[in-house]
Amino acid sequence: MNRKAVRIGIRRGWIEHTYLIRDPKELIGTLVSTVGFFAAMILWIGDTPIEGTNVTATTYMTAGLLAFVVFGAGLFTLPTALATDREDGTLLRLRGLPGGIPAYLVGRAATLLCQIAVQSVLIMATALVVGGVGAPRDWLTLVWVLVLGTVAVVPLGAAIGCMFPNPKAAAGILVLPAMGLMAVSGVLVPTSYLPEIVRAIAQVFPLYWQGLGLRAALLPDSAAAAEIAGSWRLPQVAGVLAAWGIAGMLIAPSLIRRVTRRESGSRLAERQLAAARN
Amino acid sequence: MRYGATEVLRGVDLDVERGEIFTLLGPNGAGKTTTIEILEGFRNRSAGEVRVLGVDPERGTDAWRAKLGIVLQSWRDHARWETRRLLAHVAEFFDDPYDVDELLEAVGLTGQADRRVGRLSGGQRRRLDVALGIVGRPELLFLDEPTAGFDPEARSEFHELITKLAARDGITVLLTTHDLAEAEKLAHRTAILVRGRVAVCGTPDELAAAVQAPSRVGWLEDGRPQSVTTSDPSQVAWELHQRFGGPVPGLVIRRPTLEESYLNLVGRES
Repeated sequence: MNRKAVRIGIRRGWIEHTYLIRDPKELIGTLVSTVGFFAAMILWIGDTPIEGTNVTATTYMTAGLLAFVVFGAGLFTLPTALATDREDGTLLRLRGLPGGIPAYLVGRAATLLCQIAVQSVLIMATALVVGGVGAPRDWLTLVWVLVLGTVAVVPLGAAIGCMFPNPKAAAGILVLPAMGLMAVSGVLVPTSYLPEIVRAIAQVFPLYWQGLGLRAALLPDSAAAAEIAGSWRLPQVAGVLAAWGIAGMLIAPSLIRRVTRRESGSRLAERQLAAARN
Repeated sequence: MRYGATEVLRGVDLDVERGEIFTLLGPNGAGKTTTIEILEGFRNRSAGEVRVLGVDPERGTDAWRAKLGIVLQSWRDHARWETRRLLAHVAEFFDDPYDVDELLEAVGLTGQADRRVGRLSGGQRRRLDVALGIVGRPELLFLDEPTAGFDPEARSEFHELITKLAARDGITVLLTTHDLAEAEKLAHRTAILVRGRVAVCGTPDELAAAVQAPSRVGWLEDGRPQSVTTSDPSQVAWELHQRFGGPVPGLVIRRPTLEESYLNLVGRES
């Protein structure tokens, strides 16, 4: 990947981002799903302390939602965006340009990072303003967990996005497992409430580990006692997230290459015709 | 440029010269799009040899891609982007692109520069697609059914644009169409593709001669109209003159138009 493609890609990603934040539908969707949802949760159960700790549910949920923002962006927003770009010909347009595909991928990643940043800031702000949560205890951990968590899900999300025939299918198929995983990963409810077997399953996926890492950054050390191993297990957090990231990076490029190689104008036209008939 | 592919395409052999406007003409399903996609490097051929600007499209590098302009049949991409912004973005990929504003002027989209791509009319969108295809100063431009769905006026404007660009910048243009009139108007040379084979290839005049359908010779005999179909109307007329020993009453020789010849050829081949 050359520097020119990276430069164009970053600019492309930024332009896409500015369109997203100016799009009323996207904007309202983001505000309702993050700020609105979160504020309602805070007002509903925010003051309840988590069992066995002096941490309020708001603080706990802040960490959980931050984890889910990254997770959702990587495994839901990104695949849907990829499927859309494939369907409307964006991917093919870029494929016809010298260095187009690398620039496209850089652009998508840049847009996603902007989106994650905006949502994270919104969540932190809601936590501070509505929930009265203090500033993060450990900024460094907060940042590295967010970044590594993104690295863990983005290549995987790109690979998933390549496998779906169209954007509607992608959205429909992804939403259920994403919700299920959110429920079992200790993002909203501490895993200590969950049965042993569910906890074991949750620990396979990056969402749990990211949530754990973010709790380590936001919650007081005393709260670690409520975690599965009774500690923050930060080395494992880094290890599992990195492993997912590396696995994704190994699979994704060849999948993306395959999909873009299969794209052509006539297939695009066929799909659009089929979509118009439905 | 030479290629030959199988299945959909069964041994297509032709060369396109630099600087010429070449059309691939044929009915739907003749293999026009398949051919052009093989040339663009978007589709792999199962057999045969292809050279585009001296390079096998399946092994095309970025440097090779930079010399191509591609306009496909159905774009709906980048609907959120403003016209000028998209053109400027695509221009960035090339070392020596056209000036974006001059190009917008050339394709008649200056007034739409700040309009979202998704809000352009069909004709405007197509002109933007062409602008996006040529912004990198390509040596070779591929246009797949560029005027499908155009009204006559938009079509005529589009033809002027392509002719102007090709003449001004010496771009080689390869375009597909199923409209004979379009091929006749635009192309220096045309290949008629029928069921995956090149039926005829040549200049409009050569084409007319090669695909010439039989002419009809009609006359009056005993007050009743008679007619024969022949590939040599002149011979028939001479024989009639002999028989009548002078002028032939109601003599009509009707040569088919190029369009009739084309339809005859397409019908014969399929």
